Amino acid sequence: MTILLLTLIILLAVFALFSSDLLHGVVAMSAISLSCAILFYILEAPDVAITEAAVGAGVSTVIFVWALRHSQRKEDRHE
Amino acid sequence: MNDGKTAWRNIRIFASLVLIGAVMAPIFLSDASWPVTARDYLMAQGQAESGAVNLVSAIYLGYRAFDTLGETIVLLIAVTGTLSLLARVESLVSPGPEDTSSPNAKGFSLSLEKRVSHALRTNLLEEVTGKVGPIVLLFGFYVMLYGHLSPGGGFQGGVIIASGIVFLALGNPYEDKSVLVRPAILGGMENIAFLLFILSAMSGVFLEEGFFGNPLAVSGTPEGFIILMNCIIGMKVGSSLAFMCIVMMGGANHD
Repeated sequence: MTILLLTLIILLAVFALFSSDLLHGVVAMSAISLSCAILFYILEAPDVAITEAAVGAGVSTVIFVWALRHSQRKEDRHE
Repeated sequence: MNDGKTAWRNIRIFASLVLIGAVMAPIFLSDASWPVTARDYLMAQGQAESGAVNLVSAIYLGYRAFDTLGETIVLLIAVTGTLSLLARVESLVSPGPEDTSSPNAKGFSLSLEKRVSHALRTNLLEEVTGKVGPIVLLFGFYVMLYGHLSPGGGFQGGVIIASGIVFLALGNPYEDKSVLVRPAILGGMENIAFLLFILSAMSGVFLEEGFFGNPLAVSGTPEGFIILMNCIIGMKVGSSLAFMCIVMMGGANHD
């Protein structure tokens, strides 16, 4: 289970790096935080799990999405 | 041309991944034993010295309370920077006649009549958040007050309290129904909490315990200091995060 979660975290992190849509990256980061919270709970650190779930998956995702809403979408690649 | 650019970007990402791996590899490959001195001492003495069953609380409010002071200052600076950035952004993207990109981003926490659009605030959202908000607040206070016994503490409870306050702000169809969702009140609460934090940190000095020393160390209930600090930190974290979220939703425009 631990190895499964760690693999999922690495895959999501690579996806967040390579995805060209920023919103997809934000969702992947939120999923990373959620997987980390489950991992912390399995490793018997419930304090850190609560913090990770609340801050990582909740507040930071909201702030990222808010920042994305206020930024303008601009395609950098010249097709 | 485009393919070359994309390939160059992929090469850079792969190179950074390889470099991160090279930095992390010695940590995974080394077979040095973990340091056990502090762990064994805390397991043996921590509960008796601090009175907290939850040793995490005992460490971050007892043995390492100075780090907690640094963390609260970091949070204060983060909120201050966000607010100054927000003030600048609001002045830069002032709503002109051509600004139709995000009409409902502003006034998210306005009352029913003043809202430009209802795209983000449906009846379902208002009913659910208005009824769930007090329960979330209660759970946040539980996590905060019982931080010395069960998992949780000031930071965790504070974040839950902040989400409860945001729920309350989302859940009322009228403005200023609850005094808790006003940005001015929340900012004042944060300042008062920080002042109280410094004062209670200094309270040990007068009893020969030193800065951040536990003034109740010799009495029978040393956990009282941890409960007090948890309450102050929860108040500070909750009010500052709720302040930031409510201002981000546009609550300060009409305050």
